[in-house]
Amino acid sequence: MTRSVIDPITRIEGHLRVEMEVENGKVSDAWVSGGCFRGMEMVVENRTPEDAAQIVQRICGVCPVSHAHASSIAAEKAYGIKISNNARIIRNLLEGSQFLHSNILWFYNLAALDYVNPLNALKADPADAYALALEAGTSTNSDFVALKERLSAFADNGQLSIFSGNWFDAEDGTAYTLPPELDLICTAHYLEALTMQAKASEISALLGGKMPHIMTLVPGGTSFVPTDQKLDDLKGLVDELYTWVASTMIPDTLALAPHYADAFDWGKGCGRYLAWGVFENQSMEMVDRYLPMGVLDDSLSLSDAQESLITEYVGRSWYKGSDSYNAPYFTTEPEYTSYDVNDRYTWVKCPSYDGKPYEATSLSRILVAYKRNVPFVVEQVDSLLEALGAPGQISIAQSTLGRTAIRQIETLYIAGLMKEWVDELIEAVKSGDGEYFRKPEGITGAGTGFWEAPRGALYHSEEVKDGKITGYQIIIPSTWNLAPRDAQGVPGPLEQALVGVPVGDIEKPINALRTVHSFDPCTACAVHITEPATGKSFETVTSPWGVK
Amino acid sequence: METEATVSEFQQMLSARGVSRRSFMKLCGAVAVAAGLSELAAPRVAQALESSVIGAAKGKLYPVIWIEGASCTGCTEAFAKLEAPDAASIVLEMISLNYSETLSAAAGESMELAKEQTIKECAGNYILVYEGAVLEGWGGQALRVADKPGTEHLYEAAESAAVVVALGSCAVNGGWMGAHPNQAGALGVQEYLKKQGVGTPVVNVPGCPANPEWLVAVLADVVLLSLAPSELDLTSEGKPAGIFGQTVHDNCERRGHFENGEFVYEFGSKEEALGYCLYPLGCRGPQTKANCGVVLYNNRRSWCVQAGAPCIGCCEANPNDPGHNWVEVNTPFYKRHRDLRIGDWMVQPGTIALGITGILAAALVVHGFGMKITGRMDGGADFEKVRSWDAKHPDKSIGKYDAADVPNDKKEGR
Repeated sequence: MTRSVIDPITRIEGHLRVEMEVENGKVSDAWVSGGCFRGMEMVVENRTPEDAAQIVQRICGVCPVSHAHASSIAAEKAYGIKISNNARIIRNLLEGSQFLHSNILWFYNLAALDYVNPLNALKADPADAYALALEAGTSTNSDFVALKERLSAFADNGQLSIFSGNWFDAEDGTAYTLPPELDLICTAHYLEALTMQAKASEISALLGGKMPHIMTLVPGGTSFVPTDQKLDDLKGLVDELYTWVASTMIPDTLALAPHYADAFDWGKGCGRYLAWGVFENQSMEMVDRYLPMGVLDDSLSLSDAQESLITEYVGRSWYKGSDSYNAPYFTTEPEYTSYDVNDRYTWVKCPSYDGKPYEATSLSRILVAYKRNVPFVVEQVDSLLEALGAPGQISIAQSTLGRTAIRQIETLYIAGLMKEWVDELIEAVKSGDGEYFRKPEGITGAGTGFWEAPRGALYHSEEVKDGKITGYQIIIPSTWNLAPRDAQGVPGPLEQALVGVPVGDIEKPINALRTVHSFDPCTACAVHITEPATGKSFETVTSPWGVK
Repeated sequence: METEATVSEFQQMLSARGVSRRSFMKLCGAVAVAAGLSELAAPRVAQALESSVIGAAKGKLYPVIWIEGASCTGCTEAFAKLEAPDAASIVLEMISLNYSETLSAAAGESMELAKEQTIKECAGNYILVYEGAVLEGWGGQALRVADKPGTEHLYEAAESAAVVVALGSCAVNGGWMGAHPNQAGALGVQEYLKKQGVGTPVVNVPGCPANPEWLVAVLADVVLLSLAPSELDLTSEGKPAGIFGQTVHDNCERRGHFENGEFVYEFGSKEEALGYCLYPLGCRGPQTKANCGVVLYNNRRSWCVQAGAPCIGCCEANPNDPGHNWVEVNTPFYKRHRDLRIGDWMVQPGTIALGITGILAAALVVHGFGMKITGRMDGGADFEKVRSWDAKHPDKSIGKYDAADVPNDKKEGR
């Protein structure tokens, strides 16, 4: 029995440590630790809901739009506002552009280096690479010859830059199994993806001023007003992005998968999924969202989400006490003790739904949409399963590689929706609809924003009195996924997913890294502090002379 | 000479990536402007960029360690969105990014080794980019990386660096984490290093996120123009003067409407469609120093004001005071005043005005009673029965007085 530790986990957002017990070449137990506490909810306390929508974006530089969105929905619920149709479409486009950016970046620039070895691409024959790309039906926008020369020059220089200390030699060099030609293709797409995720962010910037941290999504609607020129730019960018996503992402996934087919066998996790839903339809109902709300239990049977079933437990995290709290009345006081996997070992708290750990990822959204019979998703999932040689077997999606592959369906779905929304917006503007913002009427109330970040289900809840926030709570997808043990000692979703993962190299446990990345974790998001909506614990952690 | 890059090789590389000579020169112009040089310096910058590509005589890439502190990764995200030069070109052909928690292929122990080696073997000759706040809370355990407090990582990497770039408002002074109640004990890199007695020069690049072109401007100065940190043109707060010397308002595309008194009073209104000035909605452009309106964001696609949002002053950061962070100084964002805080009490300027008025009124009432009690008010000054001028000039007087009241001597003239 040996311990294997990955700390820091790289190519994620934030700070994460994974400690594993390895027995007979497999992980037998795992502890996931989030390494940073920043204290977001206390900062928005006593400020306006409009300020909060700006400040909470700073939780995460990858998914700021989702935080602004969830915060604004919470404020609108508190104010009793329904946003205008134009605002709804613009906000869908903003959110969609962020999802495209995040999903592209995650697949190619964060996760892909677990499967692709760009240094191996030096051995590739560019002519064969073209032939292979054509055969795989993936895009050939890049000049493979020039790319190979560029990589050679880089290698000749001798400095490794972002490849310093790489794991390409893990498991005695057997961990990376792609042929050099496919490595070359995927490296080309790594570089293209950098450009495409930047393009997706240009859409966010066009509508939101800048990305990360957009400026125009405000409680009540949007401060952005389209002009002819901005609409024209928008259409151009959205079309370009769709073309690239449609011609590249799923074909690449299908080309990679056969070389790592064993990754369909492990990494399932807790096998329960929740999604709050994202992208508003005209009805503004959570079940009608383009990716709808839903909760799936062990047998994948579907139910509607209930806020009252959410609880949070802090007994294994660095907070005072060992209590469980019901939504939305969480309370926490941070208190670092020491890193001890038998006691407290993380800054991440442990949320439960109906008393059990739940996975909140892109896979959750797609499985819920599949169960709710969203036509595009059903069609794409079925054809992906067939292409993977497992028709009708949804269970293969519940794995490390499944979680990694299924996200491409979501990316394609959103890229297509973006085109629809642009047309919808143009039609609305043409018809003379010029309403973008509805002013708040009341300034006292409480509301919850159920939404989705690219990483999974996102929850913001706030209480407002005389225009000032008196209580604010956030549960972020990675808090669900990276949760520590619960009150009964049951490990969190990622901890469960790591159990059973083969480890051929204690120093470089690459399959564990693949599994972690399949969740697209974001600890920057996951760690934060909540307090009761009543705001009463405020006095217990602060004093008029400041905080100790 | 075989290894020395020629311009044509460089151009081949550019064209292979679809970058024309013209757009490259445009970038160099932009870098020059961002770096506070004139557009005329473009050829000089171009030459510097060209001679540093792979294969040049001085072929080594400049080593860089990029540490994520208590960050949201937003500044890295912004950096990864650079188009020209794109992030890949920078990390493959300009710098050797030996440690980056977001971009590196390695993980865990191997990652830490790469950092240690860089610190040891490139001592005094690498750049440390630090993103996010420094957290001192719980002895630095508020931020834990590789089983150590984040502060230790900063200390070790900063000590031997040629220069530390504090990237983003959080790194400059704690950013939003420095805002009340600052539970995690956030502060900026410069202040922390000063406390620890580390003398490595710090360049402060605020912004939330910091515009990646500002980072490129600093990298261009240090890596390509080989400027020593002491040769950099910095403000008294250690910020690049060319970037943070003027206010947002100075270079705002809506400035003309400000001068004309044409304003937007509500989000999403007709005035917004006309691109009027956002001053009444709380725009902090007049008091925030940065060249956002010149450089723009996301490959010059747009910026806050262009999209209809008032500036919220995210570049406001005093490196010596975490309390003077952009959130504390600028909330509420959409009002023209700021909230003031005394301990835990939030106070509005209006409340203060009311308070002072009340205190003044109360003081006057007290004063009145005091006057009454001490008898100083009783009767007041003697009543003048005849105006003194009339008394002096009885002949010219038009006043009507009882004869008894007019003093005799005055009646008879002077």
